[in-house]
Amino acid sequence: MSTTDVVAPGTMDELVAALAQATPRTRLLAGGTDLVNDIRRPGRQPDLLIDLSHLTGSSYVRLDGGTLRVGAATTFAELESDPLVHEHAFCLQRAASHVGSAQIRNVATIGGNVANASPCADGATALVALDADVTTLDGAGRRATRPLRDILLGAGRTALAHDEAIVEFSFGALVTGHHSAFAKIGWRTSVSVARLSMAIVVRLDVAAEALSDVRIALGAVGETAFRDEVLESLLEGRRADEETARVMADGCADAVRRSIPGRYSLPYKERAAVGLAYDAWNALRICPPCEPAWG
Amino acid sequence: MELTLTVNGTVWEVSARPTARLIDVLRDQIGLTGVKEGCGEGECGACTVIVDGKAVNSCVMLAVQALGKEVLTVEGLAASGELDTLQQKFVEHGAVQCGFCTPGMLMSAKALLMANPLPSDQDIRTALAGNLCRCTGYKTIVAAVRAASGQETAAMELPSDTEELLANLSVPGLAPPRTGPAGTPSAEGGE
Repeated sequence: MSTTDVVAPGTMDELVAALAQATPRTRLLAGGTDLVNDIRRPGRQPDLLIDLSHLTGSSYVRLDGGTLRVGAATTFAELESDPLVHEHAFCLQRAASHVGSAQIRNVATIGGNVANASPCADGATALVALDADVTTLDGAGRRATRPLRDILLGAGRTALAHDEAIVEFSFGALVTGHHSAFAKIGWRTSVSVARLSMAIVVRLDVAAEALSDVRIALGAVGETAFRDEVLESLLEGRRADEETARVMADGCADAVRRSIPGRYSLPYKERAAVGLAYDAWNALRICPPCEPAWG
Repeated sequence: MELTLTVNGTVWEVSARPTARLIDVLRDQIGLTGVKEGCGEGECGACTVIVDGKAVNSCVMLAVQALGKEVLTVEGLAASGELDTLQQKFVEHGAVQCGFCTPGMLMSAKALLMANPLPSDQDIRTALAGNLCRCTGYKTIVAAVRAASGQETAAMELPSDTEELLANLSVPGLAPPRTGPAGTPSAEGGE
């Protein structure tokens, strides 16, 4: 039986050296909460495991001008309690608090969540709505930054090369006038894998009483989290009122129908989408609470 | 490969596969069988141990991830042979039935109390959400953790004017409000 080598780089230079040895069978170990199970399956044993949990300076949240920068090794527990994330990326704070259990949030990282590319990854859904960019480092020491939507290709599939590690996420910090929220429906209220999730960002111009910069990401209703521009355009320019909540809920159900036509779970998910949309809308707190009129 | 791990204050040199999970090294190499494997995929919490002050699932963590860190298992709670206050409160509140989930429950609760010595019932429930128990129904466990924090009743209590509010409450179509004493507020607090 072949064995797996493990290297645990402590610095970025050591990480580059480790990535230079990577092959297509090499795996990067972040928190391990998904990977440890995966590599125990037959045929999934890696030749080399690059353990990122001892890498210094890879877990941080900082405000850099108008940009929020999040180190890839930042855990969900850290995101959940970080004041900058709370103030400038509230949907990411809410998503982080919805991930797994306390034990999972203590070790699982935002970088691992994206690289694992689960269709229901809560962190990835929030980052898609925040229009995040991903910065990577490869075995030749090259840093590259590209949009997250170009990285997520499908269920368990990313555009990351085998010798490429995510080191940072960056996105425009949400400031006064912007509101964001995250909502999720799962089998139970906590420690639950999303069956349907939504992250939403809007700007509310109080003087004009109009919504703009509407960004809505849906999770777990396709191969990967995605922005639905048809749904977003329905809300642009509208007032923050009950009628808009209804338009959003109808539009959300349509978006689910477009994404998973004919899927066995569609009859459930198109109806759940209405409840999800109202949950997300109400969590924005930009108008008095609204309720769906179930038909 | 050779691994050096600090567990319950003792430094261990063990020989293990590079991909050995922390739970396997703790149970099979070091003999700490208080660490239980339930689901084996990070859902049930029976394998919970504390690493550098934080509760983690030792079934979805590799032993190499714990190098240079302090690992605490349930055996470390009663290292001197005397039960930790938390364990004693589990006994007093009948928070143990079959006992399989208990080491994980204790370690999740211990990590909570280390970070937050006066948790609310909601804090306790959030900390224990990743620990499944099929026997007790959880109420005794929450009560035991609350008692271990020195709070014999829930931190949130009904306001003193509750009885008056109830007496004045009238909802059309419902039975008239009770006129007698409103009863003792539940030890579980309001939700």
